[in-house]
Amino acid sequence: MERFPTIGQLLAKTCSNPFVLAYDESQKFLIQCLCCLINKEPQNSGDSKLNSWIRGLLSHILSAFRFNIKEFDLFTQGLGYEPVDYCPALLKNMVLSLVSKLRESHLNGFNTRRRMAPERVASLSQVCIPLVTLPDFEPLVEALLIYHGHEPQEVLCPAFFKAVNEAFLLKKISLPTSAVVSLWLRHLPSLEKAVLHLFTKLISSERNCLRRIECFIKDSLLPQAACHPAIFRVVDEMFRFALMETDGALEVLAAVQVFTRCFVEALEKENKQLKFALKTYFPHISPSLTAVLLQHPRDTPQGCHHQLLQHVSLMLRKAVEDQACGSCRDPFESWFLFIHFGGWADLAAEHLLRSAVEAPAAAEAPVAALLWLLAFYYRPLDSHQQRAQTMVEMEAVLSRLRFLTLSRSSPISAEELRAAAGEDSHEDPMQPVCGRLIRHLLLNFLLWVPAGHAAAHDTITLMACTDEISHEITGFLDQTLYRWDHLCTEAPRPAKLARELLQELRARV
Amino acid sequence: MDALLQQLERFSEVLSVSRTNHVSTWGPETVRRALQWARYLRQVYRRFGSHGRIRAALERRLRIHWGPEGPKSGLTSFRALGRGDVLLSLNLLQNRALGDAAGRALLQQLFPGAGTGDADAEALQTRLVRLARRRAALLLLRETDCFRGGSPGLLEDPVLLTQAQLLLGRLQEAGETETGDPSGWLGRLWTRAPRVHFLQVMAVALLQPLEELGPSGPKSLGEEIHVLVRWLLEQSEVLAAFCRLPAGLLTSIAERHPALSRAYLVLLTDWGQKLHYDLQEGAWVSADSQDVPWEELLRRFQSLSQAPPPLKDEVLTLLESCKARDGNFEVAGLSVWTDLLLDLPSSASKLCLGGDKFEVPA
Repeated sequence: MERFPTIGQLLAKTCSNPFVLAYDESQKFLIQCLCCLINKEPQNSGDSKLNSWIRGLLSHILSAFRFNIKEFDLFTQGLGYEPVDYCPALLKNMVLSLVSKLRESHLNGFNTRRRMAPERVASLSQVCIPLVTLPDFEPLVEALLIYHGHEPQEVLCPAFFKAVNEAFLLKKISLPTSAVVSLWLRHLPSLEKAVLHLFTKLISSERNCLRRIECFIKDSLLPQAACHPAIFRVVDEMFRFALMETDGALEVLAAVQVFTRCFVEALEKENKQLKFALKTYFPHISPSLTAVLLQHPRDTPQGCHHQLLQHVSLMLRKAVEDQACGSCRDPFESWFLFIHFGGWADLAAEHLLRSAVEAPAAAEAPVAALLWLLAFYYRPLDSHQQRAQTMVEMEAVLSRLRFLTLSRSSPISAEELRAAAGEDSHEDPMQPVCGRLIRHLLLNFLLWVPAGHAAAHDTITLMACTDEISHEITGFLDQTLYRWDHLCTEAPRPAKLARELLQELRARV
Repeated sequence: MDALLQQLERFSEVLSVSRTNHVSTWGPETVRRALQWARYLRQVYRRFGSHGRIRAALERRLRIHWGPEGPKSGLTSFRALGRGDVLLSLNLLQNRALGDAAGRALLQQLFPGAGTGDADAEALQTRLVRLARRRAALLLLRETDCFRGGSPGLLEDPVLLTQAQLLLGRLQEAGETETGDPSGWLGRLWTRAPRVHFLQVMAVALLQPLEELGPSGPKSLGEEIHVLVRWLLEQSEVLAAFCRLPAGLLTSIAERHPALSRAYLVLLTDWGQKLHYDLQEGAWVSADSQDVPWEELLRRFQSLSQAPPPLKDEVLTLLESCKARDGNFEVAGLSVWTDLLLDLPSSASKLCLGGDKFEVPA
């Protein structure tokens, strides 16, 4: 204080500024600052004067409110009440009166006398900026967010939206979903910030735990808000960018899939009379394809899954191959839509394997459809020929695996499995994604085929030679268990094995 | 129990003293002890809040100190026990007469700084800080256009509403102990507070819903409102001034409180009888400029005649019977009641004869 005397002036000015005092925790900080400045052992009159000045400031912060309406003060004093008695009640009544004024103004479209002038609403929103986290103000914040004036441009000030969004993301305020949706619809930066906040949380949380990801996503209210197509498009766009920037990272894929699931759930729960057409959510894709992909396998009996998968594959193939010849849209759009509903690819892999091993006499065509689906999922940018090549390789692996299970007396060993998968003979080390596909086929084999159970632990140990692959396998197991839960698939032995393997892998990290 | 009551009284004294110059004699120890007492009493408040008998006993003791003039400074009710520490702290902080050493001790007690595990002190600090924040919020709200300029209707004014709630709250506390007779301190309030304002608050209080949903379940305000009505009926001067409030407001009140509506109608009749017809001006005037003029009277009757029955019927019956008493003239200018009836909107003067409910005293 001796070196910077203007600090004294600054403190004095701050203490008498209600805007500062109203903000979050600033009163506490100011008080702490002032208390630090107090001289515990005043040596001279200067020190005591400083102390009493500080006391004055503190008293000002805590009690300098006089409503300055003489009648009010006289009346309350006459009743024997102090400000501490009536402040909360007065604040509550004022807030409620403002809320009802806003509501009236909202409903009375043509009655201009009862309408609140837009400048008043704007100044009200400005006043609320520091007070957004005060619980007494929640009804007012909600009313402002839902308020629609009769002017074409936005009447509330942007800083207000920003303050509310931040308070919401940090969980300092609790708002109903409709108010949050209104906030995001009116102020795009808030929506973007909310999605980024979600991304940050997802990145910094434990990897490969889909349940936790689901919790975060549901918590953020984004799936419910995305029932509104405008919001969905923005969020989808951000996911798309994330996917492209990370070159299709598995975590982003998983997040997209969980988000889509939550979104579809929220969409089903909405009882709105206005149901938006599918085209508004996915404008680049034909609605019939979207409709097919949106179907939930749970709704069809297990026996019919095969046909369903075939249908999906056919439609997707048509969309992709029609586009490739002539139309300007690239297959990326179809693939991007497809990965939203990644459960199909996993289901296809499962079916492929089980039918290959358990019922080898099945017809060829369905298998080809499933092969195509998987090849497209893992390598969307392949040309026709490359994809055909991948399909041939997959078929080779499947036949080798099938051979292994036929009439065996001794249990299968891990090395044999690995050889069958062709991992040893890596002709082309620049095909990591194909490797991923093969690995998933192998893992499915381990889970579903009883002969594979014994060698499961060893095979995994052999496969998980790098951290990257380890994470990939963990992710796969977690995702499979998660999917079985949601599809209510009855598979006790595979599930048990999967859980054991998962535990083992997690313990290793 | 006795010890508790004694402590209550002593703390109440301490609280009243804390605003005066006497605190200059207080030392740091006194301050610390006072705050400890406040903390202890707050615990008492929280423990016995739901304990009917103990709470009633404490209320009674505190009520004695109200005296005939109403609640003074100091502890005024059981609820105030919960806020005693905040009240004491604020009183002391604002009191310039508090010595240096005592002041430092006070600040140390209130704001011990981070790290100390004193949960009570932290809680007190939180409450003080929250109060400061709420006050700042009120100041900010007051500055917005919504409350300045353009007077809101009386019934919508949150400031009046708060005062009405406070008034009813005090009445409720007075009612909880049988020794409460509010006429004393209501009268004092009438003399001290600005009159029109007081009447407006009373009007708003009388229009409060009878059943209010409070934090501790539905609260019935019927008793307090009846007390207020009774007091109003007993004080003729107040009643006369009360009935000069705007016509629409009084009509709503008359609808709700039949006793008041009767008194109101009596007053209206008296005022009407004071008017005489001035031939030169061609209007009804009164000798005294303080009296209610014709236009005002007409406005009130018009408002009353638009009220739903049974009030409407009462009013019309009254007017008819007054007119009959004056001679049942149909021509204007001879009886003030005829003229009033003539000037009421025609749909309202359709009287449904259901027997005379109102007798004008001869």
